[in-house]
Amino acid sequence: MSKDNCPITVAFVGNPNCGKTTLFNAFTGAKLKVANWPGVTVERVEGETSYEGHPIRVIDTPGVYSLTSYTIEEIVTRKCIEEENIDVIINVVDASSMERNLYLTLQLLELKKPVILALNMMDIVEERGMEIDLHRLPEMLGHIPVVPVSARKRSGLDVLMHAVVHHYEEGPQGIVVRYAPQLETKIGQVEAALRNRYGEMDNLRWHAIKMLECDEEVNKDHPLKLTGIVDYSYEKDIINEKYDYIEEVVAECLFNKEKKAAMTDRIDSFLTHPVWGIPIFLGIMALVFFLTFTVGDFLKGYFETGLEYFSQGFLAGLQAMGASPWLISLLVDGIVAGVGGILTFLPNIFILFLALAFLEDSGYMARVAYVMNETMSRVGLSGKAFLPMLLGFGCTVPAVMATRALATERDRRRTILITPFMSCSARLPIYVLFAQMFFGEHALLVAYSLYLIGLGAAICIAYVVHKTRGNEEEDGLLIELPEYKTPNTRTVAIYVWEKVQDYLTKAGTTIFVASIVLWFVLNMGPGGIVDDVSGSFAAMIGRFLVPALKPAGLGSWQIAVALISGLSAKEVVVSSFSVLYGISNINSAAGMTELSHILAIDGFGPVNAYALMIFCLLYTPCVAAIGTIRRETGSISWTAGMVVFQLVVAWIMAVLVFQTGSLIF
Amino acid sequence: MKLNEGEIGKNYVVTGVLAEKRIARRLEALGVNERTPVTVLNKKGSGSLIIKVRGTRLALGRQIAEGITVEEARMR
Repeated sequence: MSKDNCPITVAFVGNPNCGKTTLFNAFTGAKLKVANWPGVTVERVEGETSYEGHPIRVIDTPGVYSLTSYTIEEIVTRKCIEEENIDVIINVVDASSMERNLYLTLQLLELKKPVILALNMMDIVEERGMEIDLHRLPEMLGHIPVVPVSARKRSGLDVLMHAVVHHYEEGPQGIVVRYAPQLETKIGQVEAALRNRYGEMDNLRWHAIKMLECDEEVNKDHPLKLTGIVDYSYEKDIINEKYDYIEEVVAECLFNKEKKAAMTDRIDSFLTHPVWGIPIFLGIMALVFFLTFTVGDFLKGYFETGLEYFSQGFLAGLQAMGASPWLISLLVDGIVAGVGGILTFLPNIFILFLALAFLEDSGYMARVAYVMNETMSRVGLSGKAFLPMLLGFGCTVPAVMATRALATERDRRRTILITPFMSCSARLPIYVLFAQMFFGEHALLVAYSLYLIGLGAAICIAYVVHKTRGNEEEDGLLIELPEYKTPNTRTVAIYVWEKVQDYLTKAGTTIFVASIVLWFVLNMGPGGIVDDVSGSFAAMIGRFLVPALKPAGLGSWQIAVALISGLSAKEVVVSSFSVLYGISNINSAAGMTELSHILAIDGFGPVNAYALMIFCLLYTPCVAAIGTIRRETGSISWTAGMVVFQLVVAWIMAVLVFQTGSLIF
Repeated sequence: MKLNEGEIGKNYVVTGVLAEKRIARRLEALGVNERTPVTVLNKKGSGSLIIKVRGTRLALGRQIAEGITVEEARMR
């Protein structure tokens, strides 16, 4: 019988951080985000592949430790396994941490569906000098296929697919875990009762065990009166017996367990040091920004030269073709200046994401949750809430989505409220430009200060919310710390390439459109095309806001317009300055001199520049972030409140900075 | 004694998980159960700690650690 047309459906199931997504990416060629901390995949994802002509549908599920239904991840994964027509479950197991991972395996085996064990991270196991008995292991796990793989090195993948194609109809054999006699008696009684009420079922034993655990889902689907049999939850006993069995498995199949595991502990004694943990974290972040600025600037020169040539050649070409002056102005002053100007910041963005990718893949991120736990619990959040905030250094959108890993809605909203204050990569061009223009050799320090102020503002606001909204206990920190590993080139490359693509896409879409719109509002007035920009729509809108921005030292209509445009994407603040002042290469030395001269005419100096950067750091995030926040909170009014709140905070801070700064300098 | 009173580098055995039900369940699924051996790897003044349990490391906040009772492990 040929099953060639009907795809085999395979679900990847495993603990958080065991490499499911890396494996999924390896099979489907997809480029999903992978990181070395738990909770990256929050929704199921599908892809397609084929092996020996068999089409295969693969599903990636969120990482879970168990098949109960207490967390969002567990519910998503369990639904996926139970409800969809999954032919085979590939249970991805981190071989370097078998004791923890096999617990889920035992639960999956009880489901009686075909399971294939993918022993991942075999390279790490070998590096540590551990050995696994690959003959005894399947014997102790119901004779399911056990395939050693390395998702990172992409080895063993064909063997795994081979197993899928050839074993997708074979479930585990026999009963793997035999419980203590009194539990087995209970299981038998529940099985009999189930059979009486619902007839023969494929996974009768699993249902019976779940009923002994008083599992809500199973009780809902198959209600059964069990008084006299199940008087209380036997969950603890069942868990303990499973772990006892795992101990037997590990004792028989795993050799040289502790040999080299000490490496991570040694690194941790520095990085999670009770006193030095926070300074080390701040130091690491400082290093990241130092690299972003210096290495990024080193590469920037090439981009500028390229842009210069392109801009001149383009202008000459247009003139040679005899294009009309307004079209030339739109193309050169509007689009090339706006979009091109933003492209010259690509090296900085590249380095920032490269550094973040290294941190994420090394395993350090989860430690930061521990290091920052005390600071965070003083403001009513757990250290775990710091993880999404850290992601906010890259981009607010994924950071807001990552708050799903937090246990309560209260924690989620609070974290979402403060995450936009973490300075995202889109704000980087603003700092690069204005810090260099006005602070010269102190530019780096000024830029780093903004990151710290953002972090400080986030924590202060969480504190105020915590104090005003009552002192409920926060959800305590409980997080698995992965082993440190050398960041994988492929994982890092995928991560960085994706971010670079995002940046280029944004330049080609949002920033492109914003530049055109801006050019039009600058060159059109109530009476049509204007010669003097001060009669344009833009000037009119800008002037309207000048009185409000004046106390912050931002009292010119051009700045007002740039800030409004910045709502489309924060980089647009920079591209707006290019378009507003007609500077073709804003990020070059010449461009900066030109801009600072123009700004100086209005008395715009370093204090104004710092106030501007503070405002840009704190004010309402871009439209994409606002949209995500609305989706994730499910509340328009809450989101609107947040937008107003952030505007107010930014304004107050900018005014404070400008007024005190003006007094001092 | 409670787990947050443990000392760095010492081995303990869990005698009970008394935390709030939701957290107790998560701990149980992670293998922190009665009779489970744990080692304290790292600890801060405030009481958060890193333990090694069942082959992996867990970071626990003070509130959670307070809900786990342990006794010192006998030398093996």
